[in-house]
Amino acid sequence: MKRRLLKLATSIVATSALVASLNAADVIKIGVQAPITGKYANEGQSIDNGVKLVVAQYNANGGVLGKKLEVISCDDEGVAQKAAICARKLVNAGVLAVIGSYTSGATEAAQTTYYRNGVLQTSDGTSDSLTKHKYWTFFRNSFPNSAEAEFTAKYFVNVKHYKRIAIISDYSSYATGLADATVKALKKLNGNIIYRGKIKSGTQNFTAVLTKIKSMNPDVIYFSGYYNDGGLLRAQQIQLGIKADFVGGDSNDNPDFMKLAGSSAKGTYLINVPTPDILPYDIAKKFLKDYKAKYGMMPASIWTLLNIDGLRAILHGIKETKSTNTKKISNYLHTLKNFPGITGPITFRSDGERIGGGYMTYEVQGDNSYKIVYK
Amino acid sequence: MDIFLQQLINGLTVGSLYALVALGYTMVYGVMKLINFAHGDLVALSAFAGLTIYVEIFGEGKNSLFVVLSVFVITALIIAFVGVLLERLAYRPLRTAPRLSAVVSALGASLVIQNSIMLIWGPNMKIFPSNLFPSTIWTLHGVVFTFTQVMIMGISALLMVGLYIFINKTKMGTAIRATAIDQDAAKLMGINVNRVIMTIFIIGSALGAVAGLFIGINYRGITFDMGWMYGLNAFVAAIMGGIGNIPGAMLGGILLGLFNAMISGYISSEWAETFTFVLLVVILIFRPTGILGETIAEKV
Repeated sequence: MKRRLLKLATSIVATSALVASLNAADVIKIGVQAPITGKYANEGQSIDNGVKLVVAQYNANGGVLGKKLEVISCDDEGVAQKAAICARKLVNAGVLAVIGSYTSGATEAAQTTYYRNGVLQTSDGTSDSLTKHKYWTFFRNSFPNSAEAEFTAKYFVNVKHYKRIAIISDYSSYATGLADATVKALKKLNGNIIYRGKIKSGTQNFTAVLTKIKSMNPDVIYFSGYYNDGGLLRAQQIQLGIKADFVGGDSNDNPDFMKLAGSSAKGTYLINVPTPDILPYDIAKKFLKDYKAKYGMMPASIWTLLNIDGLRAILHGIKETKSTNTKKISNYLHTLKNFPGITGPITFRSDGERIGGGYMTYEVQGDNSYKIVYK
Repeated sequence: MDIFLQQLINGLTVGSLYALVALGYTMVYGVMKLINFAHGDLVALSAFAGLTIYVEIFGEGKNSLFVVLSVFVITALIIAFVGVLLERLAYRPLRTAPRLSAVVSALGASLVIQNSIMLIWGPNMKIFPSNLFPSTIWTLHGVVFTFTQVMIMGISALLMVGLYIFINKTKMGTAIRATAIDQDAAKLMGINVNRVIMTIFIIGSALGAVAGLFIGINYRGITFDMGWMYGLNAFVAAIMGGIGNIPGAMLGGILLGLFNAMISGYISSEWAETFTFVLLVVILIFRPTGILGETIAEKV
């Protein structure tokens, strides 16, 4: 009896292993590592939704290389520790590529795990440090902080002629990176920085820092952090009667910024790559239409579209190389020139940096719509 | 000078919120010798419940005194009920158990509430409408203060004075003080200890609910995990003032808010939290039972 049971058990294990390996050959697994809950949930869910939409569209057309695509999502909450756990989980699940994460900090924490296991990764993280390792697995689908910093500095000094500049960031690797890069770029143009400070994200009460800045009479307050703090900073700035302009870096470009700032949102300047609705490309319009049709709302921001471009480039790579060998795909992507993306032509440098990128300054109007004031 | 006064207002506003939350910690500790870690999450829950009540029952855009008052009263009642439920389910069965079991139960209750908020309202930030309170702003010699700030400071002060009178002048207050000194002796004197503890949870939770609504109205963005941050600060405030001591919690909260504002205003915002905790350590070295812990012999 015992022996028979054992036999049965081994045969079950053997068949299930066989089924598993058959399954594995039939599908290509794509991982999503994004902050699906937590402070940046709004962005994370949008990225997750976007990837699922594109994958469903590919599957409806027969998949890639005759194989179906499967999405495996992991919630990193925008936290580095959780990101490391997600990286292990997705690698163990056998994904070929990972889309994400949204924040640079969470991306950086997972990067090495993907590199060591030969898993491709594409992220919208803009921290310059993301490409410094020159991992062959990593592809940035957005543009680095230093590019945005140069644009911001030029806008401040040459266009707006600000004489007294206050700069605030939070402690995240992205926001400090962007603020430091902006300080560097401003110094090159002889900009006068009167204040450079940090706030703790999520603290909600920024009146103490703002009161200190008020005593320094700034022309402009620049915030390089995320929208959930940016909206409150703007509201409290107006509340305290600080007359300076408020300029937010790219991560302030989110509908929640306007909601938090309320009536104070009007007159805020935001610096980012073009917003989804003004992208001139047909594929962009089609993607937005499909997304709206499926989820009943627009993607949270441009970051979803940038990540989708990363995904599309990788899928294109699989098709062109007719292979699921990540090294081969990576080599192909590094030679890719001007692949038509949703957010513009895609070209990757050898360190995984995406080349190009045009920034714009928007002024938030009374109805929370954007007006392009400088590009 | 106006900058100093402005920082004073900034500090008093957030300090009043800490004080309101700290009262919940300190009253429970005073009577039960238990740190109610779930208290911060009740504060977060009240912000979410209040927002839903406002939007669903009264409808967005209405901001008459009656509506605002009803939102406060209904929310406080709901949170008080949840507080009593919490005591019934998570703490009463463990009243005679070792102290550690109760602490673990409190941490568990905190997670249950926090995750329930996330499951009911979702992980995204919810945003309070901006017109619940009038957006009046006064400027006096360069010092700016808003209607909301005045309300926060005024109502918190009123509630704290009311609580002080209740504890010191009423029969129930006397029973609470007696239970805090010695539960068994209080029982022998014919005090219904269960009722005293229930009262403590009702008052503490209701005060926390008022703080939660103020947080929502003043800072507008609320997240399911925000209770942790306010809870931690209020807990520190309670210890600073002398845990178990009601005027101590009020003083601790206000001092904590002021320290934070002054340090970020005059030294560095990066170091505000570090310095605050250094200060806490210094206070505890010189006065191990907190600022007011020794001068008043009776707890609560």
